Amino acid sequence: MLWYKSWRDTRWRFFVALGVLTLSGTGVVLIYPRVLALVPLVPSSDAGGELGQRIREIAQLSREFRGYIWAQWFRQNVRQEWTVVSALLGTGGLVAQGSTGALFTLSLPVSRNQLVAVRAAAGLAELLIVALTVALLLPIVAPVVGQRYAVTDAVAHALCMFAAGAVFFSLACLLSTSFDDPWRPLLIAVLAAAVLGACETVFRGLQPYSVFAVMSGDVYFRTGHLPWIGILASAGVSAALLFVATVNLARRDF
Amino acid sequence: MADAHAVETVDLHKRYEGGSDALRGLTLHVPAGSIFGFLGRNGAGKTTTIKILLGMVRPSAGRATVFGLAADDPAASVEIRRRTAFVSDEKDLYGGMTVAEMIRFTAGFFPRWRDDLEQRYLRTFELPPDRKVKALSRGMRTKLALLLSLSRGAELLVLDEPTAGLDPAMTEEVLQALVGHAAREGMTIFFSSHQIAEVEQIADAVAIIDRGRTVVSGALDDLRENFRRVQLVFDGEAPAAAFEAPGITRVRRSGRVLTVLSTAGAEPILDRARALHAVSMDVVPVTLKEIFLESVTMEE
Repeated sequence: MLWYKSWRDTRWRFFVALGVLTLSGTGVVLIYPRVLALVPLVPSSDAGGELGQRIREIAQLSREFRGYIWAQWFRQNVRQEWTVVSALLGTGGLVAQGSTGALFTLSLPVSRNQLVAVRAAAGLAELLIVALTVALLLPIVAPVVGQRYAVTDAVAHALCMFAAGAVFFSLACLLSTSFDDPWRPLLIAVLAAAVLGACETVFRGLQPYSVFAVMSGDVYFRTGHLPWIGILASAGVSAALLFVATVNLARRDF
Repeated sequence: MADAHAVETVDLHKRYEGGSDALRGLTLHVPAGSIFGFLGRNGAGKTTTIKILLGMVRPSAGRATVFGLAADDPAASVEIRRRTAFVSDEKDLYGGMTVAEMIRFTAGFFPRWRDDLEQRYLRTFELPPDRKVKALSRGMRTKLALLLSLSRGAELLVLDEPTAGLDPAMTEEVLQALVGHAAREGMTIFFSSHQIAEVEQIADAVAIIDRGRTVVSGALDDLRENFRRVQLVFDGEAPAAAFEAPGITRVRRSGRVLTVLSTAGAEPILDRARALHAVSMDVVPVTLKEIFLESVTMEE
């Protein structure tokens, strides 16, 4: 029954996340013909430096639909939107003060470990559903613009998104056991993501090991192999964060 | 052997982060099968005690047991909550659910859920099954909280200020429902309140706490029997010092008149007064309100 309560508490955030990412993903696919028309103009661009190199790389990748989707969607849009969505789905909790009936929930014959476990499992299930839905949307919508996108690619990228998103989800879950409002956990989790992103930009050598590299499915796009080490590392970090959340909730007074 | 006490606390302490002491050595014995009134002023430590019993707050020191199970042990606490029903002072339920959803949700946690009682209280309390909890009045929410508590087949019902914010008619209805249920089902009811009249109306045992300590505890009839106010008149100046002894909680002198409040009955005072040649002796029974006021002001 706690599943039901958890679902009720988070369903609007789930639908908002699903809606935003669906619209964003669909938009990226639908504008592909216009992007493709602009690609021939790019080599004439004389923009130098990192920006120019980036534009030329995107233009090069965009000559193929698969490359365009990876560069525009998984590497760029997902990095920002998915991070926020993951943190958003992780905020709140079954006994957070913002959650109605917190004392009633605490008076039920369930342990606090169960409360965290059910909350995390329900949230991660929502995260997986959103990841799979927005990824599988690509092979469904691609024919509208005369393109094809492999279902296996979509599922592989969904798995990468899910694994990396689970880290920010778990961080928000952990923060929600310390803060009673949903906004501070969301803000801190997003700030943490921004700091990680900044570190990645400053220390280029760290990029391959970054959670965002896992999220974008960089290795899968370039090699066709899932980044298992990154996925397992993300799962490990996520599990550790959820464990700390369990300990934190167990020691709290209400 | 069945526990003689449904709830026991021994020298229970709670210090919150920030340094405030909510409980300072609370000792409490709640007989199984009793309706136990837990009286105290605002901030006396009633809600903290209840939260410790239900595993919501961890004690800093001392012992708290329910059905003989340690309240601060996580596994035992789950078992305690399986056998206990709780109504918080805010009647804080899930606002987004309807009455029917709330009932189905709660029933899922309690294998001994009583459908017959659920139906009875739905009718008695005239609760609209399709209405959202957040659309219910405070009185209706109290009734729903009671339905959810009374139908779960619990052995102990813990209520924190059950009638707070209710009008007199609703208060009476709630109290009658509690008394009727306790009589039929033989459960223990432990309820906190600062409404002395309602405690006096339904409780058969009480504890009065103040500043985190128990100051008076026992069966209500025994308290009424033992607490006595004796008014003595003497020929000359009243000899107040002669009455200061164990069991005497207060001695007030006003010229020739001495008023003595005793927790050990009137006889020892009357014997002493006769020996001192009092010219007039009046024994007045003390109400629970007076006992409460004397107890908490005595602490001050």
